[in-house]
Amino acid sequence: MTRTRLLAAAGASALLFGTTALATPPADTIAVGLSADITTFEPANISSRDNANIARHIFGTLYNITGEGVVTPDLAENLEISEDGLHYVYTLREGLACHDGEALTAEDAAYTFNRAKNPDNKFTGNTPGFVFSSIGFESAEALDDRRVQINLARKNPIAFGLIAEVYIHCKDSYEKMSLDEASANPIGSGPYRLASWTRGSEVVLEKVANPNSPAQMERIVWRIIPEASTRSAELIAGNVDIITNVAPDQIDAVNASGTAMVQAVQGTRRMYVGFNLSQPFREMPGGEAIQDPMVRRALQYAVDVPAICKQLLNFECVRATGIVNPPNANQSLTPYPYDPAMAEKMLDEAGWPRGADGVRFAIRFQAGRGRYLNDVNVVQAIAQYLEDVGLKIELDVMEWGSVYVPLIRQRNVGPLFFLGTGGALWSPLYDMTDLARVESGTNYTHWSDPRWFDRWADIAATDDPAAQRKIIDEMLQVFYDDGPWLHLYFQPDFYGVSNRVNFVARPDEKVYLFSTGLK
Amino acid sequence: MWTYIARRLLQSVVVIIGVTFISFIALQIGGDPTYLFVSERATEEEIEMVRRALGFDRPLHVQYLSFLGNLLQGDFGMSLSYRQPAIDIVLGALPATIELTLLSILVSVGLAVPFGVFAALYRGTALDGGIMTVAMFGQSVPNFWQGIMMILFLGLYLKWFPISGHVPFLLPLLQGDLAAAFGNLPMALYYLAMPAVAVGTYSLARNARLVRSSMLEVLGQDYVRTARSKGLTEYTVIVHHALRNAWLPVVTMIGLEFGFLIGGVVVIETVFSYPGIGRLVFNAINQRDIPVVQAAVVLLSMVFICLNLIVDLIYARIDPRVKL
Repeated sequence: MTRTRLLAAAGASALLFGTTALATPPADTIAVGLSADITTFEPANISSRDNANIARHIFGTLYNITGEGVVTPDLAENLEISEDGLHYVYTLREGLACHDGEALTAEDAAYTFNRAKNPDNKFTGNTPGFVFSSIGFESAEALDDRRVQINLARKNPIAFGLIAEVYIHCKDSYEKMSLDEASANPIGSGPYRLASWTRGSEVVLEKVANPNSPAQMERIVWRIIPEASTRSAELIAGNVDIITNVAPDQIDAVNASGTAMVQAVQGTRRMYVGFNLSQPFREMPGGEAIQDPMVRRALQYAVDVPAICKQLLNFECVRATGIVNPPNANQSLTPYPYDPAMAEKMLDEAGWPRGADGVRFAIRFQAGRGRYLNDVNVVQAIAQYLEDVGLKIELDVMEWGSVYVPLIRQRNVGPLFFLGTGGALWSPLYDMTDLARVESGTNYTHWSDPRWFDRWADIAATDDPAAQRKIIDEMLQVFYDDGPWLHLYFQPDFYGVSNRVNFVARPDEKVYLFSTGLK
Repeated sequence: MWTYIARRLLQSVVVIIGVTFISFIALQIGGDPTYLFVSERATEEEIEMVRRALGFDRPLHVQYLSFLGNLLQGDFGMSLSYRQPAIDIVLGALPATIELTLLSILVSVGLAVPFGVFAALYRGTALDGGIMTVAMFGQSVPNFWQGIMMILFLGLYLKWFPISGHVPFLLPLLQGDLAAAFGNLPMALYYLAMPAVAVGTYSLARNARLVRSSMLEVLGQDYVRTARSKGLTEYTVIVHHALRNAWLPVVTMIGLEFGFLIGGVVVIETVFSYPGIGRLVFNAINQRDIPVVQAAVVLLSMVFICLNLIVDLIYARIDPRVKL
């Protein structure tokens, strides 16, 4: 065989191998296409949902909360809470092991919490930045090999659920690693360990040998595929088994492919238009009008939310009635209907009749671009609905990360603004704590109604669930009637799922594949 | 020539300082980046703590001068997102983009020269019209659309090429792992084929038009007529006499294009899920990861400056009239 023929044969083999490599993932492997890059495996620095989805397979947590909001044990099998609500003592299961081969003990759990809290480490992830600040975490200590005590500065009715978000990692290995090394070499106690990470391209996890492991597949390959149409093509071609964030306009194509179907779930993220009621915004055009609860209520009738869901999100939704996800909402409330005539009548009665030019009042409406599903089209539609009842909308859509987020975090956006905030199903209080105090960082509207804010003390004063529920319902009624949000919808999530796997999407944006296998 | 090179390198220092300053200011225009690194439920004290930890509490000029001081020691700082040295993150992504750029230039130049020459030689014929029509099409089609169409037709429908992804060749080569590098080479080329064509189509079209007009100009020159009258073969006249002079503007364009492509393939990298520097910088800008952006800016500026210098040197080499 000549050299040329040899080269040609080698090239043909490579292409053949390549074609094989592009086929369906092996029977012991599941491949997932994600929309965003992941940046770190440092457990105390993880903050994005995609990053957390991968990390959760590597790191165990003390307890687990299912997609339906049900609490199940994970590394811990028991919890005792002190009477004053400041000390949580978790008892770990027997026989736990770290990926480095060492036994996982209460000392590792305490180390996890204290390491994340240590200011020298300059961590900014979900654990120190969200969980600890929400629950007032003070310290953790190992009481013995299996019992770890978490100490809080104040009683918090949702501390348990938030502590369940902390990734437990293993002291011996982390003490030997620099922070640089730790960010790329996770040593956890979950069912999978990191096999390889090609930054910007893919992460491969392999199952840890453990007869009690809940994991079904030997390997999980997480591929980073930012472009929605490319993700859909990879799914239809059978090269990945699951994709996140299917674009609404590609749902029909995926469903028609014969190889995959789209699972649409109503998520827990609460989408709303906020009314900024702070003094500086009161002096802006439209700012005075929205101070009046009747005007805010009138505008609820002006927007056809189900039509927005159907036409722009390709999803049949039920309009939100407030700040809390449906299973935990005040069940006596019904969503505001689309009734522009009612909106106009109420605006007239509130003292904002149409002028000679047909305009009641002008107002600025701000939004970020590219963060939420079809967000620009959604805000344009809302602006049009509001113009239809006589408002003159100055729509200001800006770049999400560098412009809009700083404005939001400084509570300096509006007078109308479009936003979505993450919620949960395991407690109504989790959703409501966005507005725990008038000065809370997440009270972007500066709402200050004492019928809401004064009731937090009442909730804290009782441990009776029925009494708490009654107070919650009363607060949600106030929020519904006179609240600072124009209620929209809970953002739907679209997952493309290959016909060969038995994945069931959760409503909380978590992609956990422990029980996912082949059909 | 050495004096010229030294002077150009000195000028490049000023250029690099200039681009770092502009990019630094541009990233600050959006406001305090601290808010991207704190939870929405963080208190003012916690925000202040993170601001201090990230160094954003210092006045802007102090932040910038500190960056320049560290830069002189080769320290670009730690990536705010990856928590690893920013230069390592950038250098990790650069080889993939260089692979893509090199192959797309190869596609572009390899086809543009024969297309341009034939179009010039057969000026006014159907062949010329056909090539120029295709060239206009290549210049008009947005490359992201072309990329998606290639994915759907060549990747999904015909299954000839992988839809997305990347197999590294340069990275293992630079790390000294020759076996891995050359073992990966066929697959690397296979994965690169579609993105390289999508990136290279625009410059292929532009270069083909450039070669054509340059050839037309040269073919009318006296020395070409003289060469023909001496009885030289048409091949010799075209390749050794006409094309050599027609090359000059193309060489300049290729050098500039290489620099632009290295920093400008972000769209194609996104469409094909290609882990290169364009996508990295795009994400870093969105996340306000200033050290990564600055490291990339400095690195890309240096590449651009070096390429321009090389082009000037080549230009002087192939055109004896040019003195450095």
